[in-house]
Amino acid sequence: MRHILDLYDSGVLRRALLEAVLVGALCGAVGAHVVLRRLPFFTITVAHATFPGIVLATIVGLSELVGGLLFVFGLIVAIYVVAGERRLDTSTTVGVALAGSFGLGVMLQSTQNGFSRDLTAILVGSVLTVQRHDVVTTFIVGMVVLCAVIAIHKELVYRAFDPQGAEAQGYRRVLDLVLLLAVGATVVATVPAVGTILAVALLSVPAMAARLVTRRVGTAMVVGAAYGAASSVLGLTASAEWNSAAGASIALASAALFVGTFIIVSARDQVSRHRVLPSVAHA
Amino acid sequence: MQRAILITLVLALLAGVVGVLVQLRELSFMSDALTHTVFPGVAIAFAAGQSLFVGALIAGAVSSVLLTVATRSKRIDQDSFLALLLAGLFSIGVVVISRHHTYSADLTTLLFGRLLAVDTLEVIETAAVALIALGVVVAMRKELLLRAFDEIGAEAMGYSLLCIDLAVNLVVALVVVAAARAVGTALVVAFLITPAATARLMCSTLTRLVATSVAVGAVGAWLGLVISYDTSIHQGWRLAPGATIVVVLTAIFAIVAMYQAVRTRAVGHETTSSSTT
Repeated sequence: MRHILDLYDSGVLRRALLEAVLVGALCGAVGAHVVLRRLPFFTITVAHATFPGIVLATIVGLSELVGGLLFVFGLIVAIYVVAGERRLDTSTTVGVALAGSFGLGVMLQSTQNGFSRDLTAILVGSVLTVQRHDVVTTFIVGMVVLCAVIAIHKELVYRAFDPQGAEAQGYRRVLDLVLLLAVGATVVATVPAVGTILAVALLSVPAMAARLVTRRVGTAMVVGAAYGAASSVLGLTASAEWNSAAGASIALASAALFVGTFIIVSARDQVSRHRVLPSVAHA
Repeated sequence: MQRAILITLVLALLAGVVGVLVQLRELSFMSDALTHTVFPGVAIAFAAGQSLFVGALIAGAVSSVLLTVATRSKRIDQDSFLALLLAGLFSIGVVVISRHHTYSADLTTLLFGRLLAVDTLEVIETAAVALIALGVVVAMRKELLLRAFDEIGAEAMGYSLLCIDLAVNLVVALVVVAAARAVGTALVVAFLITPAATARLMCSTLTRLVATSVAVGAVGAWLGLVISYDTSIHQGWRLAPGATIVVVLTAIFAIVAMYQAVRTRAVGHETTSSSTT
C-alpha cells in the first residue's frame, strides 16, 4: 500500500490522476444518457471526429480544444440533419460520418511532416502529459455539460422513455441535438487524456455498471460518476505500476469493474429469484 | 502501384457486396466493433513475431463469435455491450503494443496499413479471403435475405438465427481481415459502410444496390488512389492513399445525399420514404 502511495509522489502523476478522475466522473455521469439513448456508436464517431478537428486546428493555428469542438459540433449537426431525412437508418449515417471524418483526419495528417506521434496521442491519449490548463479546461467543459444535462434532465428522461408523448406535448427534436452536443463536448474534453476509443469506454462502461445497480436515471448518473472515477484511479495506478499505456489501462479497469458488478448482481439475482432486476429498457 | 490498385479493387468488390448486407441488417456498429476487435490479434501476432495475417484471422473468428453471442444478450443493451467489448479488446491490443519500443510507429502501421507497400503474397491472401467471404454470401444468399426481411418467418421455418448471424459476422470479420494489411483496420469501415449507404440513397432493389455499391466502391478506390498518387508525385503533397480513398468515398456520398435532398425538396410531395424501412 505504501508503495502505491509512493507512486503519486511526483507532480506529474498527481496531475494525471486529477485529470483522469475528472474525466472519469464526467463521462460516468453523462454516460447514463449515452446508455439510455443507445448512443455508444455515435460516441465512437464523435471521438474519431476530434482527430480531424485537432489536425485542422493545428494547420490553421487554432487551439486544439476550439478546433475539436468546432469540427465535432459541425459533424453532429450534419448527422442530426441527415438522420432526420429518414432515408438511411441512423447507424448507417453515423457510420459514414465515422469513416469519413477519420479518413479526413488521416489524410490531412499525412500532409504534415512529423505528426505521427501526435496521432498516437490522440488515439490512445497521453494523460501523463496533461498540463495545468488542460485540467482547468476539462473542469470548465465538464461543469457546463453537467449543468446543461441536469437543467433539462426531466425533459431528456421523458423523451427517452416516451418519445411520442414528448412530441405530443410540444417538446422538439432539438432536445436530442442538445444531448448530442453535450456528449460531443464531453468527448472533446476527454480525448486528450484517454484517447478516442477509450473515451468511448468511459462514456459507456461505467454507466452500464451503474445501470445494473440502479434503475433511476439520476441515481445512475451519480453511481456512474463514482464508477468512472474509480476506473481512473485503478487504471492509472496499474499503468504506473506495470508501465502500460494509461488510457488503455483505465478502459480495462472500467471493464473489470463492470464484470465484477455483473457477477455480484447476477449472484444476488440467483439468491433472490423474485426480485426484478433493473434491466435495460428495450425501446 | 498496380498491386495497390488490384488490392483495392478486390476490396471494393468484396466490401461492396458485404456492405449491402451490413446495411440491410443495420450492422454498421457491429462492423466498426469488429475492426477494433481484430486489432488485438494483429498486435499480439506482431509482438510475438508471428504472421499478422494469421493473427488477424484468429482474432476475427474469435471476436465474431464473441460479438454474436453478446448481441443476443437480453440483460444488457446490445449497443453498450458492443462498446464494452470493442473498447476492452482494443485496449488489450494497445497494452500489448505499448510494451514495445517502437510503439508509436508500429501502432500507426497496424491501424492504417501500407497500401503502397503490399507485396504479391498479400494480394493473393486478400483475394483468397475475399473469395471465401463472397462464396459464403452467395451460398447463403437465400437464408441471409430471409433473415434480414423476415426474422420471425425465418425462425418459424426452422432456421437457426444464431447460425445465420454468426455467418454474417464471420463474413464481415473476413472483410476486415482482408483489408487490414492494405488500408489498415481503422479505415475498413469506410469500405463496408459508405459505398452501400451511397447506393441506398440512389436505388432500392437488391441487385441494383449490390451493383451500385460495388461500382461506387471501385470508382472511389481508383479515384482516391489516382489523386493520392498524382499529388504525391507531381504536387509534392503527400496524401496517405488509404485515407484519400476514404475521403473520396465520403465525398461521393455527400454529393449524392445533397443531390437527393435538393431533388426531394424540388419534387415536393413525392415522399422520400418510398424505401422499405
